[in-house]
Amino acid sequence: MLAARRAKSSLKGERRSQARGLSVEFADHRNYVLGDDLRYLDWNLFGRLDRLFLKLYEEERELPVRIFLDASESMNFGELSKFDFARQVAAAVGYVALCGFDRVSVDVFPGADSRPAAVAGPSGGRIPQAALEGALRSVRGKKSAMQFFQNVTGLTAGGTADFNGALQRGALAARQAGVAVVLSDFLDPAGYEAGLTALVGRGFQIHCVQILAPEELAPTTFGDLRLVDAESGFEQEVTFGKYRLKAYQQTVANYVQRLREYCAGRGIRCFSVSSATDLGDLLLKQLRASEVWA
Amino acid sequence: MSFLTPLAFLFALSLPAVVVFYLLKRKRVVKLVPSTLLWQKFLAETQASAPFQKLRHNWLLLLQLLLLLLLVLALARPYFAGKAGEGALQVVILDASASMQATDETPNRFEKARIDARKLVDGLLTGVDEDRSGPSAFFHWLGSKVGIDTGFGRRNQQMMIMVAGANTEVRQSFTTQKAALRRALELAQVTDSPTRLAEALRVAETLTRDRAGAEIHLFSDGAGVDLSEFESKDLKLSFHRVGSRGHNAAVTTLDVKPNPEDPTRRAIFTSVANYGLTPVDATLELRFDDQVVETKAIAVGPTNTTPVVFVAGQPQDGVFTVKLNHADDLAADNEARVVSRLPLPVRVLLVTKGNRFLEKALAGAGPNVELATATDFTDADAKFDLVALDDITPTVWPGGNVLAIHVANTNWFPGGIGELDGPAIVDWRNTHPLLRFVSFDNVQIAQSLAVKTPTWAVALVDSPQAPLVFAGELGRQRIVWIGFDTLQSTWPLRISYPIFLANVVDWLNPASAAAAQFSIRAGDAFRMPLGDYLSPGAGALTAKITPPGGPERTIPLDATARELVFGDTGKQGVYRVTLGTNQLAFAANLLDPVESNLKPRDELSLGRRGEVTATTLKRANLEYWRWFALAGLGVMMVEWWWFHRRTA
Repeated sequence: MLAARRAKSSLKGERRSQARGLSVEFADHRNYVLGDDLRYLDWNLFGRLDRLFLKLYEEERELPVRIFLDASESMNFGELSKFDFARQVAAAVGYVALCGFDRVSVDVFPGADSRPAAVAGPSGGRIPQAALEGALRSVRGKKSAMQFFQNVTGLTAGGTADFNGALQRGALAARQAGVAVVLSDFLDPAGYEAGLTALVGRGFQIHCVQILAPEELAPTTFGDLRLVDAESGFEQEVTFGKYRLKAYQQTVANYVQRLREYCAGRGIRCFSVSSATDLGDLLLKQLRASEVWA
Repeated sequence: MSFLTPLAFLFALSLPAVVVFYLLKRKRVVKLVPSTLLWQKFLAETQASAPFQKLRHNWLLLLQLLLLLLLVLALARPYFAGKAGEGALQVVILDASASMQATDETPNRFEKARIDARKLVDGLLTGVDEDRSGPSAFFHWLGSKVGIDTGFGRRNQQMMIMVAGANTEVRQSFTTQKAALRRALELAQVTDSPTRLAEALRVAETLTRDRAGAEIHLFSDGAGVDLSEFESKDLKLSFHRVGSRGHNAAVTTLDVKPNPEDPTRRAIFTSVANYGLTPVDATLELRFDDQVVETKAIAVGPTNTTPVVFVAGQPQDGVFTVKLNHADDLAADNEARVVSRLPLPVRVLLVTKGNRFLEKALAGAGPNVELATATDFTDADAKFDLVALDDITPTVWPGGNVLAIHVANTNWFPGGIGELDGPAIVDWRNTHPLLRFVSFDNVQIAQSLAVKTPTWAVALVDSPQAPLVFAGELGRQRIVWIGFDTLQSTWPLRISYPIFLANVVDWLNPASAAAAQFSIRAGDAFRMPLGDYLSPGAGALTAKITPPGGPERTIPLDATARELVFGDTGKQGVYRVTLGTNQLAFAANLLDPVESNLKPRDELSLGRRGEVTATTLKRANLEYWRWFALAGLGVMMVEWWWFHRRTA
């Protein structure tokens, strides 16, 4: 996983950081002061100049990778549901990060505590949603990958998401800024700007993946419709015909374009995919092409 | 308040239909979607984001445009201008003659003509903006540039209705009021009279002379129309023909004479004509005062005429009716009546120096001749029906009818009198009743007077130089004049001589002249001298006339009246007249071979050079906005259906 900036984490890892420390990467010299560890004296330099310099090495720190996973009711749509697709992406990103000895934390929103009871806890002896979320809050090490996968698989979607609130909370909760991957459909009536701005302000390097269901991109139901919002229950009456399909698709394209432009203006990488897209194509081509990872 | 087109209220039925459509609730399909956010944005973008948008291919739009277009067209009151209805002044003449009763059209020709004329009235352009200034002048100019009649700047059309029956009646003078014109058409009645279109056309020609855009529309079958007097009048005449066939048989002549073989009985001469193309087998019925006297079976070949003679006794004055029992297109000409009065003795005075031939011939001229002879005529008050002057100039000129033989000393010949030696007879008028069955073959004349025919007389026998016999009516006096002394000719030896004298007695007999006046053609005025019925001291008199099947009419006559005239004889039949204590009757008959020939004419000839072809243009200037409105309604229905089909 590629990071544009040096890691600011306080924990040891394998990422270059601005901190000086004990790695094999030479960083700089500085004058010896009393009390410095003699093991880091540059004896060759002392021999030539007869002055004591201390060799400084870069400290390698970990990269916190924070995955914001939209688990609202709207993510349940699609042949392969948007949530399933998002989970697969989250698992892939998490695995890559774990392999790079980075810390992975998954923020599922809405959280189990803010969901209605009916969807909060799975029945039949499965692990409660809240426990899964807790287990996913901080994962490290390649050996944790299997556990990580199981936990992601156990997640369910439901309830009403507060996109901005979730991102703002995540930005505040992070001790160090790192890489943020936002997996959502970005269809929040309140907008997405406040949340993304909070992450940018905290110093996160952000990747957005907008996942839309095929039926959202090209509806197949025509006629006089009363559309019910799965999350809010809001009803919208629409008379829709094939002749208006292009206009609708134009509307969707406009919406996606606005998101892209917003992200581009803030140095955010943005991807917009259908949940029916081949996952390999997204992971191996699109993400790699835009240098999310090498 | 009245409405010109009350039928238009039927369109109000479409209002509930539209309401019903709106009462129908649209059924919406409920669908759960991830988010309505995109839909809201979609609706906001397509509905209100921009005041204008690109026009898309949309059938609904096209239908609605079509609907609007049709409605606008309907509001513009479109009409089709034809040749027949272009004129600003239109004279409609309805032929109300007997042949228009023919039932080859349903219900008959006259009704058909009435319907056609009503269409012309419907097509009349009225209520248009006559303003020729401002915008309408511009539109008028624009229309004339692109060759479209926009209706702007047009003039209102005026129409006038005339009915040409027995008399020409102006039913409605020039007006733009369609209701008045329709009413005038409704009130028109068909008559039993022969065609008399010339009078109507003369009136129409006078009214439309030198008027721009004047037109005359004649609705007729063209039967018996003689328009030769309009040959050079440049008549703007449109002939709307009615009638499709000429299937008709008719009684065309009827006359009553004393039976030559049995003076106590009467001979009824009649003829039946068949104008159709199929033979007619029918019965002919003779009635006397509604009592059937005799019935004969007759057969008449196509386009043939068969004479029929009935012989019947006559107990008193009465009416003989001949009725043809045959179902054809025209019933009016299947019956004819004649008023027959018992023969009275004819008192004849022969003033002669001695003429055995003449005396014998006059004595044998009829069954009722009472002959007296004298050598001079001196008493003007002597009661004689006719006086024969044989080569004698009387002392007193007789007041009654006169047969004058070789009489020169009269005031009839202002041009002077000459002499002809051995004049040759070159021609004689054998169509005149006086020369019926008379021939002048082998008649030689030694000497004759040479005169010019007076204006009041017609020459019956001609030599190359001068008339030899003439006859005429001078005042109320009938005169037969023979220019040569019959004893100086071979004529008395010929069979034609007694026949001629019998004809003379018949023609000069005042009673037979009176009998003729009791048979008139339908539509002709009935005229009767009142001399015999007015007593000098009786004062005013009233005549009561009962037309056939009609109410009694009372005609007041003042003391100085000399003649009874009754003109309303459009219906054929027997008219009963009560004059003081006298009961009379006269008969009005069609008896017109030309009228009975129902074959419709495709053209009317205007003299030798001009002709008017029947036009079929009958729906000129009809407004078509109703059809546009109807089409608009249809399009609206289709549009509604399409809207639902598309979203279903």
